Amino acid sequence: MKRITCSGCSLLCDDIIVRTDGLFIDEVIGACIKGKERFDQVTSPNRITNPMIRKNGELVKVTWDEALDYTVMIIKKSSKPLLYGFSTITCEAQYNGIELAKEIDGFIDSNASICQGKVFENLLDIGINLTSLTEILNKADLLILWGANPAETIPRLLNKVLFSRGKFRMTGREIKTLIVIDPVKTASFKVMGVRDLALLIEPDKDIDLIRTLKDECCATNAIPEKGVAGIDQDDLKRLLLHLTSAENGVIFIGQALLQPHKNYNLIKELLELLQLINERQSKGRISLILLGGHFNMAGFDHVALSNYGTYGSLQFENKKLKNENTTLVNKLKNEEFDCSLIIGTDPISHLPYSLSSRLAKQPIILIDNKKSATYHLAQVVLPTAITGIESSGMAYRLDQVPIELNKIVNPPSNIPSDEDLLLQLITKLNSKDEE
Amino acid sequence: MELYKFLPKTNCKKCGKPTCMAFALDLLQGKVKVDECTPLLEPKYQTQYNALKDMLGKEEGKQKELRINVDTDLCDGCGICVTVCPVNARYCPPSLSGKAPDYPPENHQLFQVKKGKCELLNLKHCRRLDAEGRERECRVCETYCPREAIKIEYV
Amino acid sequence: MKLILNTIRKIDNDQLKEFSFGDDKSLEEKLAASFLNPVDFKKAKLSSSSNVKISSPNCSVIVKGYEDVNVPEGMILLPVSIWSNQLTNIEQGEIKYKNLSVEIELTNEPVLSFKNLLKRIKGV
Repeated sequence: MKRITCSGCSLLCDDIIVRTDGLFIDEVIGACIKGKERFDQVTSPNRITNPMIRKNGELVKVTWDEALDYTVMIIKKSSKPLLYGFSTITCEAQYNGIELAKEIDGFIDSNASICQGKVFENLLDIGINLTSLTEILNKADLLILWGANPAETIPRLLNKVLFSRGKFRMTGREIKTLIVIDPVKTASFKVMGVRDLALLIEPDKDIDLIRTLKDECCATNAIPEKGVAGIDQDDLKRLLLHLTSAENGVIFIGQALLQPHKNYNLIKELLELLQLINERQSKGRISLILLGGHFNMAGFDHVALSNYGTYGSLQFENKKLKNENTTLVNKLKNEEFDCSLIIGTDPISHLPYSLSSRLAKQPIILIDNKKSATYHLAQVVLPTAITGIESSGMAYRLDQVPIELNKIVNPPSNIPSDEDLLLQLITKLNSKDEE
Repeated sequence: MELYKFLPKTNCKKCGKPTCMAFALDLLQGKVKVDECTPLLEPKYQTQYNALKDMLGKEEGKQKELRINVDTDLCDGCGICVTVCPVNARYCPPSLSGKAPDYPPENHQLFQVKKGKCELLNLKHCRRLDAEGRERECRVCETYCPREAIKIEYV
Repeated sequence: MKLILNTIRKIDNDQLKEFSFGDDKSLEEKLAASFLNPVDFKKAKLSSSSNVKISSPNCSVIVKGYEDVNVPEGMILLPVSIWSNQLTNIEQGEIKYKNLSVEIELTNEPVLSFKNLLKRIKGV
């Protein structure tokens, strides 16, 4: 029995106990239901166990040599390859992915571009206060959930930040205040107590709340009597009082605040509001944390930043980084690609119809371990080991702290890890060049 | 609690219990009968006396056991009950900061999260049986579960 | 009837879980579902035996409709899935997943199956 790290979601809990004999995992203690399902993927019925190629419309099993040669042939025939995914693999594999993109003059982007990447664009202009989970555990006394629902998406988060007892917060739940802002009454509302505040805001009116709070910081009596966006005057005053008098506060934001708008930039205005509040704060400060999905979404930007000095997407030309500022959405919409390599994700399911239909027109190379929707439309499928259980490496948690993932059991005999597979592809492309 | 509402709430101690709340708890468990609260037999408490007799019916005086039910269909393994239980917090240091306690479980540990669901190990050291005074009315696991999957009942 | 569409995540309807353990039938049962406030449910004359057709400017899907008191009036909720992503669209060069305006109507056609959905994306 030993303590290992779970790779079910971006919280990367490192206090999970498993019992294993090196081949199977038969006891899991401490993991929530999302983590348990991750451990069950080892023996799942929908697991891909062989490389496959689509011949005459059907996927058939082939040998590794045939699958790798076919992949190299597709890449060599194309002049504008597109690489996407990279959020469910280790940092070492992400580095190999960027090297592969450089080798084939491709465009590479991770899931973060449609999720959290927008915050980093505004970060360089205004600045942001980041914090770590240990600091929240020990010092925070105000927690705000804005457009996020961790009770359904990251079950153990509320356990670790709200109910736990830290060094300076030994009484735990009683000393912490929770504020939830959401238009729908979700499961996160059920952990509220008497001192907490539940704000049912009208849909899509978060910008009005931010602007009213900003005005109130600069001048008094800016809050109208009938309230703003469905919240009444008393609640708004209480909210501002909590924000300016808390010793240490954290705001968790989710997908609802990352939506595009025509006339304004919501993230920029939110960061400006936090800056104003922190200037007026007498004792402490308010920080920001983004709740994301896949367990290594934060890692890709770190790898790109430390190796190439840029974050977000990378476009290579003549094996050098091109100074182009385009996004995945634009590339797909304008059909500026002629083959795609998808790793560890399922774009046919999570992209809108206008983009997924364009993606399906060109050949798709899929590197994954379960039969998702993209599997049914792929041209060639290469299976890999499950990261965090069958292969080890580095990953970044949602508060940008690096955590080591462990290897618990061996993968099936003919299945490589993501890191090794990408290296094999680079080697094969190099050797074909010399022929 | 519904039974406490109908008692005089004077804490006069004529029944031998320290508070009216303790009397209500013993009434629920069948350890005492309604007639043992002598102020209730006076005419001004007639409606409350009748209401209590109606609510308990035939169950009055029958010995009842504590049972804590965890609904495994609703549970999602968040571990809040493990962190919040005062017995767990005293005897298992990792659960103070939200971490999973050691395995095999310590003697006093009540809740454990196994295979993604919460499991009740033993009720021996639960506050409702083991403690004195106001700590016997402990209901933290039932109050703080976000899915309302834990139910405390007497059968 | 015009409503606002919002996509939500619920731990029972997680798309990842369905692709890891489910088959086509369980996918359709869990993910091709929508939730409405009882008042809107009645206004649109829906029932447990009929389906609802949701249309946005570029696409439409047919799913089952359920009642839920936690949904505010004027809103329809769908779990995040391949069905709900037929209705999301692009604005300002970014993808919009929440607060979309859609139109719903009662229909007796069958629920859009997974295979037909893939065929539609492929363009067959």
